[in-house]
Amino acid sequence: MNDKRITLQQAAEIIKDGASLTFSGFTIWRRPMAIVCELIRQQRRNLHLIEVQGGPHTEFLVGAGCVDIWESCWVGHELYGKYGANLSRKVGAKEIIVEDYSHAEMMFRFAAGASGAPYAATQTSLGTDIHNPAYDMLGLAGKRDGQRIAKHKYVFSDDPFYGAGAQVLVPAAKVDIAVMCVQQVGEEGTVRVNGQYYSDPEAARTADLTIVMAEEIVPEEYLRRNADQNTIASFEVDHIVECPFGAHPTGMFGRYDVDGAFLKDFYARTRSQEGFDAFAKEWIHGLDNLSYLEKLGWGRMLNLKANTALNYSTSVKRGQ
Amino acid sequence: MSKNYASAEEYGLADLLCCAAAREVADNEIVFAGTGLPMVAIMLAQKTHAPNLKLIFEAGTLDGRPPEIPTSVGDARCEMGASRASGLYDAFSIAQRGYVDLGFLGGAEVDQYGNVNTTCIGDYLNPDLRLTGSGGNPDINSFAQRTVFIMVHEPRRFVENVSYITSPGWRVKKWPGGELVPRQELYGAAFRGGPSAVISTAGVFRFDAGSGRMYLDTCHPGKSPAEIKGLCQFDLDISRVSGETLPPTREELHLIHEVLDPEQIFIPRVK
Repeated sequence: MNDKRITLQQAAEIIKDGASLTFSGFTIWRRPMAIVCELIRQQRRNLHLIEVQGGPHTEFLVGAGCVDIWESCWVGHELYGKYGANLSRKVGAKEIIVEDYSHAEMMFRFAAGASGAPYAATQTSLGTDIHNPAYDMLGLAGKRDGQRIAKHKYVFSDDPFYGAGAQVLVPAAKVDIAVMCVQQVGEEGTVRVNGQYYSDPEAARTADLTIVMAEEIVPEEYLRRNADQNTIASFEVDHIVECPFGAHPTGMFGRYDVDGAFLKDFYARTRSQEGFDAFAKEWIHGLDNLSYLEKLGWGRMLNLKANTALNYSTSVKRGQ
Repeated sequence: MSKNYASAEEYGLADLLCCAAAREVADNEIVFAGTGLPMVAIMLAQKTHAPNLKLIFEAGTLDGRPPEIPTSVGDARCEMGASRASGLYDAFSIAQRGYVDLGFLGGAEVDQYGNVNTTCIGDYLNPDLRLTGSGGNPDINSFAQRTVFIMVHEPRRFVENVSYITSPGWRVKKWPGGELVPRQELYGAAFRGGPSAVISTAGVFRFDAGSGRMYLDTCHPGKSPAEIKGLCQFDLDISRVSGETLPPTREELHLIHEVLDPEQIFIPRVK
């Protein structure tokens, strides 16, 4: 059995400048924040993010200047921050290329990528500016090489089989590395996600290389006792990292809630580049995962800790 | 059964919107819920006149019955008690397959045909402000039989032309030229429906089946049709007003504040 274990630092080192990345999770849940912070510490540059939808991890990487291209459909912090202020700022300053698809289009692009199909056919978003030919941003930037970036943003077609009318064909996602954050991974790479698995299976399968950061690395044999409960097969995973609370400030089903106060603070403080830099100085640079957790403190983390019967925290303050 | 309607000082605008939204739901429907006030509205409908509605959360929860209001559709609270917890491929496949009766959505701008923008303010290529992006808004709007939009009512939001059509209304752009054509023409065999109502902080609006144009259906208590027309940059049809938006009942207020959202995550208490 080859040992798939690596450290957080090694995980970030595997991701080279210019790589295309995708992530586990959904908006403010189960994002690989510890690896994202390590990428920022290592000053990774020119990344191309291709994701079903964005979240705080996107905002961290974009704010830190790591990202050149963002292909997705949404970024924000749900009720803790209306939109992605860092992405918004950099779009305004033309420091980043944004290619907009719809949420279902992105999901179907990953489903195609994960199944080895070149494209997906769908009937969504017809008649919208998502299909405005003047808004093909990767095309305008001359980046559609037909290699890792598709020759066309989309192609209109008609159903040739059943006469179901207008279809839009969207290209399969092509991604170098999937960076995942889950509850459990086995020593050989088998992943068990608890709760909604979002678009994790497709993300892992689409990417050429998959790094899984887990709350805990567990004996492979334990996961194989109930194989029907597992989410991703061992051989789809290349590297594994153990990192408790690695998703903070995003949440993890059954383990801890979203740290809403942290996200609110991040959103409020990082509207400007100076604000982001000050935030990064306080919470990212000069820290490692342990000192980050120490800085957050026991009180904060216990408050977020999920009740193991309910799978969410009963003590976290969510409303006004 | 006579309704026990609350008086004006007993409820806030968020209560009124929530109850108006809940009343758009019929029993036994399959409803796609986005984050925020719509979640409270759907769960309110579930606890009142629509006990058999089925709730889908975009992140991958099918027939959800959350014990506590989720703060977002990815929340751990979504899948507790659900028929199935899976992922977005399931949620969007089911929607494209045609299971969804109704979706609740929001937006930053809307035009008279119900085209909605959540992407940017100003020219897309030189935006004044980049917003969140589409999320599932156009998808739910393309796949569902009906969609209801909940919006803040300001003249800058009810506009002649939205900055960017994120989500399709009743007259949509035909590419490559971008001329407006009836939605039915563009969607063809994939056509299922479209925006059925806009619930704003001023009133409830619906769409004419022929022209696809928005008209004022009911005014919220205290608002006049002329006043609401003045809050729209397009020429709002106020010839078909059916009356005043019904206020919340005391039972609905009790459910909203004591059962569904006691933490005031989405709906603040008036007192």
